[in-house]
Amino acid sequence: MQIHSNYDVIVIGAGVSGSFMAKELAEAGWKTLILEAGHSFRRNHFPKHEIDSNSQMYWSGGVELNTSGSLTLLRPKVVGGGSIMNQALMDRFDDIALDSWRETSKMNIFSEESLKPWYEKAESELVIQEIPEQYRNGNAKIFADGFAKNGFTCSPLIRGQKNCHFEDGNDCISCLAGCPIDSKQSMPVTVLRKALMAQASLISDFEVIKIEDNKERTIVGGRWKDGSHYTFTAKKIVMAAGAIGNSKLLIENDFKKSLPALGQNFYTHPQYMVLALYDHEINAHKGPLQSYKSHDRNFRAKGFKLENVFAPPAALSLLIPSLGKKHLETMKKLPHMACIEVAVRDTSPGQISINKLGRTVIEKELNAEDLKRKSAGMEAIRAIFASTGAREVFEGDLGLGLHLMGGCGIGSEEKNFVTAPDFTVHGHRRMTIADSSIFPNAPGINPSLTIMAMSKAAAHNLIKEGI
Amino acid sequence: MKAGDIIAPGDENFPKFSKTPLIKNFQRMSDYMVSQDRDDLKLLMTIFALLPTPLVRLILILATKHEAFPGPLGSTLRQINLGVRGIIFTMYYSGLGETGEKILMDIGYKTEINTKVTPDMEMESLIFNANPLLNQKQKTSQEMMRVSRQSHQHISKLSIEERLKFITRLKLVILERQEEITDIIQKETQKARTDIMTSEFFPIYEHLEFLEREARNALEEEKVSTPIAMMGKSSKIWYESMGTVLVISPWNYPFYQAIAPITCSFITGNATIYKPSEITPLKGLVEMVLNAAGFEQDWVQIAYGDGKTAVELIHERPQKIFFTGSVGTGKKIMAQASQYLIPVELELGGKDPMIVFEDANIERAVKGAVWGSMTNTGQSCTSVERLYVHEKIYPEFREKLLTETSKIKVGVDVDGDADMGYMISEKQVMIVAELVKDAVAQGAVMLTGLEWDFKSKRVPAILIENTTHAMRINREEIFGPVLPLMSFKNEEEAIRLANDSDFGLSASVWSKDKARCERVARALVTGNISINNVMVSEGNHALPFGGVKDSGIGRYKGVMGLRNFCNVKSVMVDADSKKIEANWYPYTKTKYTLFSGLTQSLFYGGIKKWVGLVRFGLPLEGHSQKAKRD
Repeated sequence: MQIHSNYDVIVIGAGVSGSFMAKELAEAGWKTLILEAGHSFRRNHFPKHEIDSNSQMYWSGGVELNTSGSLTLLRPKVVGGGSIMNQALMDRFDDIALDSWRETSKMNIFSEESLKPWYEKAESELVIQEIPEQYRNGNAKIFADGFAKNGFTCSPLIRGQKNCHFEDGNDCISCLAGCPIDSKQSMPVTVLRKALMAQASLISDFEVIKIEDNKERTIVGGRWKDGSHYTFTAKKIVMAAGAIGNSKLLIENDFKKSLPALGQNFYTHPQYMVLALYDHEINAHKGPLQSYKSHDRNFRAKGFKLENVFAPPAALSLLIPSLGKKHLETMKKLPHMACIEVAVRDTSPGQISINKLGRTVIEKELNAEDLKRKSAGMEAIRAIFASTGAREVFEGDLGLGLHLMGGCGIGSEEKNFVTAPDFTVHGHRRMTIADSSIFPNAPGINPSLTIMAMSKAAAHNLIKEGI
Repeated sequence: MKAGDIIAPGDENFPKFSKTPLIKNFQRMSDYMVSQDRDDLKLLMTIFALLPTPLVRLILILATKHEAFPGPLGSTLRQINLGVRGIIFTMYYSGLGETGEKILMDIGYKTEINTKVTPDMEMESLIFNANPLLNQKQKTSQEMMRVSRQSHQHISKLSIEERLKFITRLKLVILERQEEITDIIQKETQKARTDIMTSEFFPIYEHLEFLEREARNALEEEKVSTPIAMMGKSSKIWYESMGTVLVISPWNYPFYQAIAPITCSFITGNATIYKPSEITPLKGLVEMVLNAAGFEQDWVQIAYGDGKTAVELIHERPQKIFFTGSVGTGKKIMAQASQYLIPVELELGGKDPMIVFEDANIERAVKGAVWGSMTNTGQSCTSVERLYVHEKIYPEFREKLLTETSKIKVGVDVDGDADMGYMISEKQVMIVAELVKDAVAQGAVMLTGLEWDFKSKRVPAILIENTTHAMRINREEIFGPVLPLMSFKNEEEAIRLANDSDFGLSASVWSKDKARCERVARALVTGNISINNVMVSEGNHALPFGGVKDSGIGRYKGVMGLRNFCNVKSVMVDADSKKIEANWYPYTKTKYTLFSGLTQSLFYGGIKKWVGLVRFGLPLEGHSQKAKRD
């Protein structure tokens, strides 16, 4: 079955960038259609079991690895995208990140000063709060104490949240599979809602397969949950399917010939969670999941950051590198566990491609520099745990890729970049990208707020140019 | 399982993986995997099943030490490590079922979210309405009927148990979202919230529970007796679906009048086309709750539109029309339906009398009268529209009625703090204004509600006195918050006045004297009656509901009402034998004589019947087997 409806713009992906772009364009009167491969869950319908949230809210049922299996990539597939599953950390990029972007992309917008108005616009769409320290749990306390004892600097998290009602005794670990009380300022709670109020259309459970730009109009085709195929036409396309999604779609639709850099320079901020056992109960799963982040110049210079995190039991079980009874003995000590995570600002560019079977292939390893950064982080974590009386430390061997960036890098030369400085795709004026896939390298800071800011800027460009 | 027990062997307190039912959750996860991954994993599991346990153990242990192996071997081990361990641990530690919950409890993992939030109906309705694939342009009547014929095939094959599961889920969906649905209804109707709760939600739950409780028995095969002359056969009734039921609903209870008839139609196995009033379409709401309860999109199709849409739909010849609304529209529907002989059920207006005798508890009757006439802002087919009070207590009753009526708080509340909302339909406001003005012009007196401008939907409660049966206000349906107050001298006059109407939907009688109550109740020409209460007969979903005279045709609710949505199929079963029936050809003189004798003896009753059976019945049987035309 086919539907040929003429939209002004089709937005592929209802994650952070897609929702922001759709909201801006729909409010400017554009006839907007958002296509999202994932399902729409509302606060009272998020899956309650890990087995279900992992399989129903991520691509490939939650199992996506790089070629060597050293990194597990968690790529959300849900209306709201990463904003449903992330920890909603809303940090602006610093000059360290932006200077390197400016250097790579030769774009002046990449400075704290130039991005400031866009950051402000983005921030105005959400409620952003600092986590109140009074509710911090045992895990956070170890983090803060360890930092103090080792002379490191940390600061409370700045989060997109409205009111987590910790006074009610909420255990916010469920936040990782969707906030059941809509405190987290995810897209369906914030800008996606506004987009729909401004008459944007949204089809969820719809996987885009085909993209075509024939210069007069664009065509987007795909498959709905019932297996039926639909094709839509629009004057413009916004690609907001994330680093892997955008790269995969463009490669599959033969854009690689004209855009050689497609799928290149893929980064993930590889993260490693380290567990430690204490004699006393920590109860890291109670109360706010996270309270602090590292805020340490030395860490930043060394290319890593630390976060105070934890994971629910199934995920946790994978971090403990053993089997059988030994593993069970460790699991039984769950209330005595603390956890700190290191996130590496990776320098080694990965690559996204499609193999003969049509499968996405992610080649991405840590190079010597990245490993050095990782060990520096590990060392800091060990120091923190040691200084706070940990009995035993489990250095997880499971690398996680949660910030999936690049593949459609932004910059002026067509040879080296996919996205042009005005956010259109090189050689394709009708196609715009402003999500994490345009990141020219790894910033070492949580990307969400910057995706929002860039999407605001890109939407502004589109509106200025007109339909 | 082998790998499962190596990875999760349990101990004295924790179960061994293979001893738990957790493996049945595998599909829950694998359904979402990429087919290649799923196949790889299944292959791996098959290999493991063939290998001896120690070898599997070795592989799994090596897999946890993947870091020690460089290159492709390391990669393979890592993938095994993540894949197999991941799957087993995910099933073991996801809190699945009682086993899973206990495991989490025993490792000391317990989390809670204590902040209460209601479902986000606004966003759900935004998302639903934003989806062009769910909201494609409304199908033509012809297309709807075509879809309906197909979906009927599907629904009619569901067992009653299966259908009941949808009913239960629907009940839970509505219960869960009651407050937010209230917001939507209130926005469109401007009713008082308590009216919405008591007259939309409460009866929906009562109705759905009635279905849960009674539908099974009401619709199952029913055995009936077989007369002696037909000995050897069995007789039964099948309550089968009809096909497509067209439900046309009014604007006064837009949610209840959607859910109740739709579910009656569904539970009896019919496909439904539902046309809401164009005044209160509640666009998207009914689709959404049905969708959330798991109803397939084609089972209940919603046709938005006005009378023209209804005419087009009837033209497509549904198998039944269930209409609730005005007398005028009901007549038009029946006229059109008569061309195609479509059975109609008409739930039309009322002009309900309330009769209060001198021995009734005055306080209670006063409060009953005020509520019965004003609830839902008087926009109810069973509202009290004529109040007859015995002359002996009239002055006292009148005074108390005035006091009670003036206490009514009008408003569109947010928290239940209003008695009466606004009126829904502008057209109806005009009718109310016209009827009141007409009465006043002929000498009636408004006791309350004088502040009304005769235009605003914010109509106050109006008590009106000195009306006569010659006035339109006592002959036509008001359908607004207006109560004409009259007196009577004796029982006979009360009955005469109450029956002096073209309508006959429901009525109420109030008195201490039970015998009198029953006498009057039997004398009233009406479909429903409440004794010493008001508007309660429709509250019990086991009772059939419907009117006489201009109030309608047919009965709805109760077992009888449910069966009205059925093709009542009568079945007689005989054995496949050589037997030739006596009443079949050939007719012979002998047969005539025997048959005549049998007829004369069989139906006079008494012993003669049995004698007749022996004397005529047996020879007749014998003769019929060999009778030949000469």
